[in-house]
Amino acid sequence: MSVAKEGFEPLIVAFCCNWCSYAGADLAGTGRMPYPANVRIVRVPCSSRVNPSFVIRAFQRGADGVIVAGCHPGDCHYHSGNFFTRRRLSVLRRLLEYMGIEPERFQVRWISGSEGAKFAQVMTDLTADIRALGPNRKLRDAL
Amino acid sequence: MKRVGVFVCWCGSNIAATVDIERVIAAARKMPNVVYASDNKYMCSELGQASIRESIEKENITRVVIASCSPRMHENTFRKTVAAAGLNPFYLEIANIREHCSWVHKEGEVGTVKAISLVRTAVAKAARNEPLTPSSLQITKRALVIGAGIAGIQAALDIADSGYQVDLVEKEPSIGGRMAQLDKTFPTLDCSACILTPKMVDVAQHDNITLHTYSVVEKVDGYVGNFTATIRKKSRGIDMEKCTGCGICYEKCPVKVDSEFEAGMAKRRAIYVPFPQAVPNKPVIDRENCRYFTQGKCKVCQKLCPAGAVDYELEDEVLTVEYGAIVVATGFDILDLQAYGEYGYGKHPDVLTSLEFERLVNASGPTGGKILRPSDGKPPRTVAFIQCVGSRDQAKGKAYCSKVCCMYTAKHAILLREKVPGAKPIVFYIDVRTPGKDYEEFYNRATDEYGATYIRGQVGKVYPEGDRLIIRGVDSLSARPVELEVDMVVLAVAVTARADAAGVGRMLGITTNAHQFFNEAHPKLRPVETHSAGIYLAGMCQGPKDIPEAVAQASAAAVKVVGLLNKDSLVGNPTVANVDESMCSGCLECTQVCPYDAIKEKSITERRGRETLTRTVAEVNEGLCQGCGACSVACRPGANNLKGFTNEQILAEVDAVCL
Amino acid sequence: MNLTEKMRQEAAQILESKEADLVIGWGGGEYYWQSPPLFLEDAAGAAELAFSPFIVNNLAKYLLEELESHEKAALFVKGCDTRGINRLLQDHRIQREAVLLIGVPCAGLADREKLKAAGYDAGLLQVERQGDSFILTLEGEEGAREVPAGEFLLDKCLECRYPNPLVYDRLLGEEVQKPRERDPMARVREVQKKPVDEKYAYWQEKLSRCIRCYACRNVCPACNCRECIFDQNAPRWVGKANQLSEKQNYNIIRSFHIAGRCIDCGECQRACPMDIPLMEINRKIIQDLTELYGEYEAGIDPTDVPPLGTYRAEDPAGFSER
Repeated sequence: MSVAKEGFEPLIVAFCCNWCSYAGADLAGTGRMPYPANVRIVRVPCSSRVNPSFVIRAFQRGADGVIVAGCHPGDCHYHSGNFFTRRRLSVLRRLLEYMGIEPERFQVRWISGSEGAKFAQVMTDLTADIRALGPNRKLRDAL
Repeated sequence: MKRVGVFVCWCGSNIAATVDIERVIAAARKMPNVVYASDNKYMCSELGQASIRESIEKENITRVVIASCSPRMHENTFRKTVAAAGLNPFYLEIANIREHCSWVHKEGEVGTVKAISLVRTAVAKAARNEPLTPSSLQITKRALVIGAGIAGIQAALDIADSGYQVDLVEKEPSIGGRMAQLDKTFPTLDCSACILTPKMVDVAQHDNITLHTYSVVEKVDGYVGNFTATIRKKSRGIDMEKCTGCGICYEKCPVKVDSEFEAGMAKRRAIYVPFPQAVPNKPVIDRENCRYFTQGKCKVCQKLCPAGAVDYELEDEVLTVEYGAIVVATGFDILDLQAYGEYGYGKHPDVLTSLEFERLVNASGPTGGKILRPSDGKPPRTVAFIQCVGSRDQAKGKAYCSKVCCMYTAKHAILLREKVPGAKPIVFYIDVRTPGKDYEEFYNRATDEYGATYIRGQVGKVYPEGDRLIIRGVDSLSARPVELEVDMVVLAVAVTARADAAGVGRMLGITTNAHQFFNEAHPKLRPVETHSAGIYLAGMCQGPKDIPEAVAQASAAAVKVVGLLNKDSLVGNPTVANVDESMCSGCLECTQVCPYDAIKEKSITERRGRETLTRTVAEVNEGLCQGCGACSVACRPGANNLKGFTNEQILAEVDAVCL
Repeated sequence: MNLTEKMRQEAAQILESKEADLVIGWGGGEYYWQSPPLFLEDAAGAAELAFSPFIVNNLAKYLLEELESHEKAALFVKGCDTRGINRLLQDHRIQREAVLLIGVPCAGLADREKLKAAGYDAGLLQVERQGDSFILTLEGEEGAREVPAGEFLLDKCLECRYPNPLVYDRLLGEEVQKPRERDPMARVREVQKKPVDEKYAYWQEKLSRCIRCYACRNVCPACNCRECIFDQNAPRWVGKANQLSEKQNYNIIRSFHIAGRCIDCGECQRACPMDIPLMEINRKIIQDLTELYGEYEAGIDPTDVPPLGTYRAEDPAGFSER
């Protein structure tokens, strides 16, 4: 499945919960902490709002990587949302791996509103991982 | 057909220096549904907002996208702008091209490319925005204060003084909390009881305060303005109406157990008043130790009571009360010293915690205020005070600073010198931290006027030799080992969150940090609010603080409560879950994942051909729903959808992001 | 009295006594392997009921529709079928008091494909179970032929753990003992071992066959929504284009929707006309849920909470929590 990687700019869809990870991304901005522009954030109230269908849809439409970021377990703005996220997306991540999707391409991370630097680092590392893997053709709509 | 207007903000040079605004506007004009695009140097300025309002009217715009700073910054500002132009405020979407773009993607043209993508995504979502109307919530004009230490007392008094009814719930038999146990208070050395007891009496006598002592809050349901709490008033075994508080009952009680109030330094009876100034000043029967309850016979107190107030059959009373707001002031514990065997606590009677020392110094304490060694009753000549026992100790204790120990240790050193002339206080410390008005001066008095010796360094071992204690440690300034012979050791033990804090947090729907202190909504700007609207924090339960800080926070919480109760109604959050009944199968899986118990089953009747069918569907209580969307994902057919973040909207955003 | 007679007697008695106003059972077909569902409102029809080693259809899902026009339905149920009943009960799709369950212990059903492969299909008139054997009646042959049942059982029956009904009001015949003959997770482990690109290729080959007939969904007791997302146009969760990505989307989301809810009956795979090994996907999820969040079998106790409907604060994650 590896394709030409030269000049390849991956597209990464990041579902970020409003209260922690989106705020963390804001903080990365306020702190002028650069990370690759390949990352596109979709704002959701809580990581538990992320339907697995949204993840599959992103891959279908051409995302090379998808990340769901939420508050740390125990810190969910909605008390328990991310605990459900953890169960649902653990299952989804293993299922996608089983279906042959490189696990690097679908990630779940906990990033708090005070972790601007972590947000930038996670996105930098993720982009590097995906860049190394090359463009994703799996699950993707025929062009 | 939706008519989307796109407004791109320069934010001075914050955005415009990185993002090519012209290109963004040109690209926006080609996006589906976009009928208008323009820019402004400062969209949030009055001029910028006016230009948005004018364009909406002139261009007949029905959905608005503003490409600017984070929605967490100005979403509310721009919602008002959109509403002022006659549109539903939720027709607005913000493309975050500052925090998520211009500030982090300064290289070449990537910022411009990404800004266009962010605008396209916001346009895709905005085109699917539906009008949302917040619900209006009624407010129960009554407050609940949990915990009646100094913070809870202050909050209750301030709310009550503002004219609102307050229920003050305390799990101990008396109000007063930790402050009641203290002797003097730093930095003024006024007597703790002298300043606290008048407030306790005020509470007892206040027309607007209902006191529930020896009571626990068992359950809290509901939401801001509309909480319902279940309070268990544990049976004291005393008819509070009949009891006159004469005290005969506990004089003759045959059972003696360690007094919690005296930190185990003295005994109390099984029927007891925790301390002389207790409010209410009426006894309670400790059923775990009472001879009648453990062995079935005794009843001495009942026989002696002249008022006939002792009633062993009295049962717990359970109240269900509605409140508009809640103040949590549940206080603190001190660290269990099991991991600190090297200090000899529990093995040698003359090694004390600071709280035990506090009782020893107190005129109403077990020794009448004389500082005497528990081992032999003699006054100590040399006393070592060891600070940071469990505080600032990532390995064995707590990483945080307990904040009050430096100051009370200086106080203890001063009190020692006052009470035992010629005695020598020696303090082992890591750093002496004295931020606070008159605090540094107070510490200086301890060293300069009262001759306290401060040794920077930690103690490795405390062990008895003869009738004295040997301390081995290191003076870290001279890097030399220290060995001292002392008569008493006082440990400044870390303060901790209450053991049941996490459980209380779960009951209230508020979070705790890694150390189980309750989390404030914002560490700087919302220090007394929690993330659950209508629930506020006061005192040590939120983190270590001293009395003036606890009182200030309590008054701040009270103002928040009063501000809330002053309102006639509350505007609800319109981005709530919604169930399409025609599609709902009634599987009720959404109810399982709701943290607010906001979804209930409902029976509906519908016609199907000639039959009338009754079936179950889920129904969302919009007052309770906070809009997380966990239920919308649990719903397989998508019958449960989250307003403002609908399946349609998010799928459209994903499609647009990937274009 | 054989099971067919018992079924007929039971059905007739239920309808005559008005214990239920509908009986759903299995009838006989034109061919030996057919066992279509039979809906009886009249005791006279009970004579059409027929027990055979082909009563594979789980009748539970018919309740969704039938209970809209009937007060109470009686239903014949095998062990696997009762997990479907529990599924529907747990999903609040049926009320227990609206169903009368007649349990039928099942030692495993016959697989026509296996009979075919052994050359028994043409001219086969009837297959009957007798102890550990199937008795085959062949056209134009004197007497019957006896073959070992184990060799001709449906694969899913070899993996069965619940040969006896888990919930019933009355039981026909004696409970049977039937050890699980095959580890249902073996295939999952095999697929799992493949390198990631081989896995993708494996599933690409399997899923590209999918014709989106939705037989897997239609037969599944856990797929019981009033309106399935795959049938919706707004939003369009899955596109209609005949391309691999939509087939993958459908199959991944279908399996996710039954995550923690799949009763492991294997009907989806059996119903698939394109031989897609759907249980290898469903069981992967069952395996992961067990590994991460503890042993759980759906459709055993309708009062429990499925693993994706709950959590523990100390749950492990299937991803890095750094």
